[in-house]
Amino acid sequence: MSALDVFVQNKEFFKVVYALIISLICTFIVLKTHKFFHLSLHQGIRYLRNAFFFYGLAFFTRYILGAPYFANSMGILYGNVMDSLFQFFLATGGFFLLYSLIWKKVDTKKHFTSLWHTNLLFFYTLAIIITVIDKVWLTYSALFFSQIVVFLIASIISLFNYFENKKAKFLKFYLVAMIFSLAAWILNALVAIFLNWNQLILISTYLLNIIVFLIFLYGVFKSTK
Amino acid sequence: MSETKKRERLEVIRDILVAIKHNRSIKPTRLMYASNLSPQMFKDYITELIEKKFVKFEAEGRDEDKKEYTLTKKGMDFLNEFKVIENFVQNFGL
Repeated sequence: MSALDVFVQNKEFFKVVYALIISLICTFIVLKTHKFFHLSLHQGIRYLRNAFFFYGLAFFTRYILGAPYFANSMGILYGNVMDSLFQFFLATGGFFLLYSLIWKKVDTKKHFTSLWHTNLLFFYTLAIIITVIDKVWLTYSALFFSQIVVFLIASIISLFNYFENKKAKFLKFYLVAMIFSLAAWILNALVAIFLNWNQLILISTYLLNIIVFLIFLYGVFKSTK
Repeated sequence: MSETKKRERLEVIRDILVAIKHNRSIKPTRLMYASNLSPQMFKDYITELIEKKFVKFEAEGRDEDKKEYTLTKKGMDFLNEFKVIENFVQNFGL
């Protein structure tokens, strides 16, 4: 029996492990940056934390809260609710990550909360629209397309950041993380739309995602020690 | 064009707090000059620092004219962690 067969047969178990790893990394990042945010009240740190907060929620919802559905112990309504929440949280996480890179140019006013203000209303609305479209069309196309655009823009901004500030050592890893994320979303879209959920490519996207989150974890460790 | 790089917001805050720390307590006009800010900018920053409880503005006695700025524990903590916060912000392009 090949490694691929082992994976396919125990797919749901591996998905739970995958989600646990990512949720734990996100929790760690949010907790580790808590002190720095509260000392500096720096809006960029705030939006970055929000991104990982929503990513953590997304993976926890889909693969851990959603696990009973995949084990056939919950009904289709439960599965649909978990899946919709997953899409909404994932899209919102991506938007917050992008916003953490552009907030200096678009945040003109002081906000009392980083979770709710007029600029963010646009992203929340977009995330809801994406979720509804995908539910109606029974695909993930809107989510894939939106995140490909988000990470394409984030990759370009990261490239500029890297060239502008060579002293910040982690920026090159940040750029790599953005390019890997972009690659993972493109692969996800290809697998879903053209390759009939090819398991081998799907595993590659999971691995890419784990590498991206590990890069961020490394960055947080390295920058805060 | 000036060759001096415009200070980032966090650097301005650090400069204000360092000026207060070096003097232990300092009068508004002296602090404004020490932090190298225009009156309006100084007012904005110092208001924010008081709101955030990094700085206190009070007199030892009851004389209002003798009010001076002093650092709070939170302000001191910020100064101690400043390098780490600055490093984090730069590393993540924030």
